[in-house]
Amino acid sequence: MCDLMMMSSSDSNSDSEEEESLSEGEMAQLLEEVEEKKKLIATIRNKPWRMKRRLVDLKEAQEFVDKFEGALGKGKGRKWFAYKVMMKKKWIKFQRDFENFRTACIPWERKIKDVESHFGSSVASYFIFLRWMYGMNLVLFGFTFGLVVIPEVLMGLPYGSIPRKTVPTPDQDTAQDYSVLMDFNGYCKYSVLFYGYYNNQRTIGLLKFRLPLSYLMVGIGTFGYSLMVVIRTMAKNADVGGGDGDEGEFTFAWKMFTSWDYLIGNSETADNKYASITTSFKESIVDEQENQKDENIHLRRFLRVMANFLITCSLGGSGYLIYFVVKRSQEFANRTDLSWYEKNELELIMSLLGLVCPPLFETIAELEDYHPRIALKWQLGRIFALFLGNLYTFLFALFDEVNTKLEQEDSIKNASIWAMKEYYANYTLMLNGTDSPIPPMDPGDVIRGPCWETAVGIEFVKLTVSDIQVSYLTILIGDFARAVIVRFLNYCWCWDLEAGFPSYGEFDISGNVLGLVFNQGMIWMGAFYAPGLVGINVLRLLSSMYYQCWAVMATNVPHERVFKASKSNNFYMGLLLLILFLSLLPVVFTIMTLPPSFDCGPFSGKVKMFDVIMETIDLDLPAFLGTLFSYAANPGLIIPAVLLMVLAIYYLNSVSEAYQHANMELKKKMQMTRDEEKNRRNNTDSTNQVMKDLEDLLPNRSLMPPAPPPQPVKKPEPEAKPTKTRPGTAGKGVNLQRDVTLASPNPNARGPVSRPPGPRGHGPPPGAGPGRGRGRGRGAPPR
Amino acid sequence: MGSRASTLLREEEIEEIKKETGFSHSQITRLYSRFTSLDKGENGTLSREDFQRIPELAINPLGDRIINAFFPEAEDQVNFRGFMRTLAHFRPIEDNDKSKNVAVSEPLNSRTNKLLFAFRLYDLDRDDKISRDELLQVLRMMVGVNISDEQLGSIADRTIQEADTNGDNSISFSEFIKVLEKVDVEQKMSIRFLH
Repeated sequence: MCDLMMMSSSDSNSDSEEEESLSEGEMAQLLEEVEEKKKLIATIRNKPWRMKRRLVDLKEAQEFVDKFEGALGKGKGRKWFAYKVMMKKKWIKFQRDFENFRTACIPWERKIKDVESHFGSSVASYFIFLRWMYGMNLVLFGFTFGLVVIPEVLMGLPYGSIPRKTVPTPDQDTAQDYSVLMDFNGYCKYSVLFYGYYNNQRTIGLLKFRLPLSYLMVGIGTFGYSLMVVIRTMAKNADVGGGDGDEGEFTFAWKMFTSWDYLIGNSETADNKYASITTSFKESIVDEQENQKDENIHLRRFLRVMANFLITCSLGGSGYLIYFVVKRSQEFANRTDLSWYEKNELELIMSLLGLVCPPLFETIAELEDYHPRIALKWQLGRIFALFLGNLYTFLFALFDEVNTKLEQEDSIKNASIWAMKEYYANYTLMLNGTDSPIPPMDPGDVIRGPCWETAVGIEFVKLTVSDIQVSYLTILIGDFARAVIVRFLNYCWCWDLEAGFPSYGEFDISGNVLGLVFNQGMIWMGAFYAPGLVGINVLRLLSSMYYQCWAVMATNVPHERVFKASKSNNFYMGLLLLILFLSLLPVVFTIMTLPPSFDCGPFSGKVKMFDVIMETIDLDLPAFLGTLFSYAANPGLIIPAVLLMVLAIYYLNSVSEAYQHANMELKKKMQMTRDEEKNRRNNTDSTNQVMKDLEDLLPNRSLMPPAPPPQPVKKPEPEAKPTKTRPGTAGKGVNLQRDVTLASPNPNARGPVSRPPGPRGHGPPPGAGPGRGRGRGRGAPPR
Repeated sequence: MGSRASTLLREEEIEEIKKETGFSHSQITRLYSRFTSLDKGENGTLSREDFQRIPELAINPLGDRIINAFFPEAEDQVNFRGFMRTLAHFRPIEDNDKSKNVAVSEPLNSRTNKLLFAFRLYDLDRDDKISRDELLQVLRMMVGVNISDEQLGSIADRTIQEADTNGDNSISFSEFIKVLEKVDVEQKMSIRFLH
C-alpha cells in the first residue's frame, strides 16, 4: 500500500517536476505491482469477502492497472500515455521558459538590487513599492487611454468642430501662452486631458463605439481593478506577517543568530550594519534595564497628554489654514490680475504644510519618550491624519466651488436655450418651415456654461503637478545641495560637517511612502474628471524611479539603524486601501447626486451621469434583460441580498475567531510545556500533578546517584511533546545524553525507563540521518 | 567565453547532481556558470581566495566559516560537485516536497538540514553544542570593541538562558531549532532563482 502511495506521489511529482522518468528499480517495482493487481482482478471471485468490499477492491485494482500499464509500455494505454507524458514535459518546459522571460522583463531589478545592497532591505522595499505602483498605474493608464482617449481622438469630432472642443474666441489670443498653459487653461483645457472635451454622442464612428458608457465603465473599473489588486497583494503579504506572537521570547538569541543582513555587499554599508547591530544590542540591554526601572508615571502621562494636545492644535491649525486659503482662492477666481504666488497659493501652502509639519511632529513627539518603534507608528499616524485632513478640506472647498458653478450654469443654460429657440424661430419665420441647420456660428463664439467637471479636473491636475515639482525640488535642495555643500565646504569649515550637524541625509522611507500613497489617492479621485491625469502620473512614477534611485545612491547615507522591512509592508498596503476607499467616496457621490454639465463632457444633457447605463439597457440590450435588471433593482431583492452578505460576513468572522481561539489554546499549551521544562530545570519538584505521579512510578530514587542532569532523559512523556524535530536529529540529541546517563553507575535502576527514549534514538531513519549529515559537514567521500 | 573542454558540464554529470541535490537542469546550468565565473584560475576548482572575492562574503563576519563549509576537511580546493553539494542546502523548498513520505530519506534542503548547516557555522569544535565561548567569539566578531567584555558576557549568558531547556549551559541542536522556530528559514536560506 505504501508503494502505491509512493507511485502515486511520484506521478504527481512528475506533473510539477520536469524530466523525471522512472528509473530501473521503479520500473521493476511497478511491474510487480501491476502483476499483483492483475492477479487480484483474476481471483477476486474466490476471495471470501463481502460483495461491497470486492467491488471496491476490483475498481481500485482496475484503475491502477489502467493508469500504470501504459507507463510500462504495455497494454492498450501505452501510446496515449507516452503522448501525454511528452506533452506534459513540453508544457512544463514552455512554462519555465515563459517564467524566465517574464522575470527578465521585470524592470529595474538591477537598480533595486544595487540600492538594496547599499542601504539594506528596508529602503529597497520603498522602491519595490514604487515599482508596484508604477505597474498598477500603467494598467489603469492602458484602460483609460485605450477605451476612452483613443476612441475619442480617432473616431470623435476633431478640435474646433463643436463648442465644447474649441477655445472661446475671447481667450484665443492668449491660448498658447506658456503661463496660460501652465495653469492648464487655454489649449490644455480644451483637449483630451479633461472631461469637458468629450462629446456626448451615444455612438461614434463606424464601430458604433459607445463612448459615454465606456467613460463611465472605465471610471468605475479603475476603482474596481485597484481594489482587487491591493487586496490581492495584501493577502499575499499576510502570509509572511502573522506569526509575530511572542516576540519577547528569544530576543537576544535572535539578535545573535539572525541580525546580519546577508544581502549587504558594500563595505560602507557593512560598517553601518556593524554599528546598527551594536546599537540594537545596546538598545535591548537598555530595554531590559528600563523594564526593571520604576517610572514616574504621572510625569510621563502629563507629558504625553501635552504632546498630543500640541499636535492636535497644530493639526487643527493646519486644517484652518487650508480652509482659509481655499476661501481666498475662490475670491481670486473672479479676479484676473493675479500674481504667480496668488494663483498657486493653495497648492504651495498644502505642499509646504506637508514639508514643515512632520519634523514639527517629530520634535514634539520627543516629549512622549516612547520606544522608537511605537514612536514611528505614532508619527506615521499623525502625518497620515495631517494629509487626510488637508485633503478633505481641499475637497470641501472644491465642492463649494462646484456648487457655485452649478448655480452659474443654470442661468447660462437658460440663456443659451433661449438664444437657440430665438434662432430657430427666426429661421422658420424667414424661410417658411424648412428644416433649420445648425446655426452658422463659429464654435468659439457660443456661450459656454462653466463646466464644473473640467474645473475639478484642472484643480487635481494642478495639485498633482505642484506636488511633483515640490518633491523634486526637495530632493534637489534637501539632499543634493546639502550633500554638495557638506562635501565641499568641509574643507574650510570649523567643525566636521560630515559627522556633525548637517551631514548627509538619510532616506526618509515613511515620508516617501506616505507621499506616494497620497499621490495615488489624488490620482484616483481626479482620474474620472481628467482622464489624462493617469498618464501624467505614469510619467511621474517613471521619472521618479530613476531620479530617486540616483539621488539615493549619490546623496544619501545608509540609516543608523537599518531595520527590517517585512513587518511594515502590509501597513503601507493598509494605508493604500484606506485611501482608496476615501477617494472612492467623493467620486461615487458626484456621479450619483450631481447633475452633469449641460454642454460639456460625455454625459451632457442627461439628468444624472448613470442614466447612460439605463439608456444602454433600454436601447442596446434585448428586452428581457431590461426587465431582468428592473426586477434586480427592486428593493425587495436587494435587501435580502444585502442581508445575506452581512450574514456571510458574520459567519466568516466567527469562524476566524474560533480559529484564533484554537491558536491561542495551542500556544498556551506550548508555553505551558516550555515552562514545565524550565521549572524542572530550576527546581526538581514538579508543579503538575501528572508529572508528580510519573515521578512516583520511577524506581527508588535513593539508589540513583545525585546527578540531576540525566533526569530529563528519563521522562518519556515530556520528551514527546516538544520534539518537533525529525527523529534523526532528536535521536542525535538524545543519543548524546544517553551516553552521559550510561556513564553513570546503576544501570539496573534504569532498566524499565531508559527504553522509551532508546528506540527513538535508534529508530531506522536516524541511522541514515545523522550519519549522512555528519558526513556532509566533514566532507563526504567523493563519489 | 572560450570553451574549456575539460571543464564543460556533461549530461551524465548533470543527471547525477540532479539526483544528489534535487536541483533542476536549468538551475544546475545556472549555478555552473556562476561557478566558472568565480573560478579565475580556470582549473575547474575553487580555492578560498576565489570565494573571498565575493564582496558579500568578504565583509560578512561569518564569511570565513561559510567558506570553510564548502571545503571538505583539510582540502583547499572544491570542485563543482562539492560546490553543489553544499549549495544543495540552499535549494528552495517546494510545496510538493512537503507531501513526500517521511519514509523517503530527508532531502538536503529540508528545514532541519538548513538549520544544521547554520548550526555548524557556530559550533566550531563540532561537539554538537554551542558553548558560551563560541557565542562570545561570534559576538566579538559581530560587534567588535564597541561593547565592553562584561556586557558581551552577559549577552552570551542571556542568550543561553533564553535558548537552553535542559540546563547544560550550552545550545544543542534541538534547542537551536526551537529558537529559530519562528524564523522563516526556508525562505531566508534559499537561493532565489528568478522563477
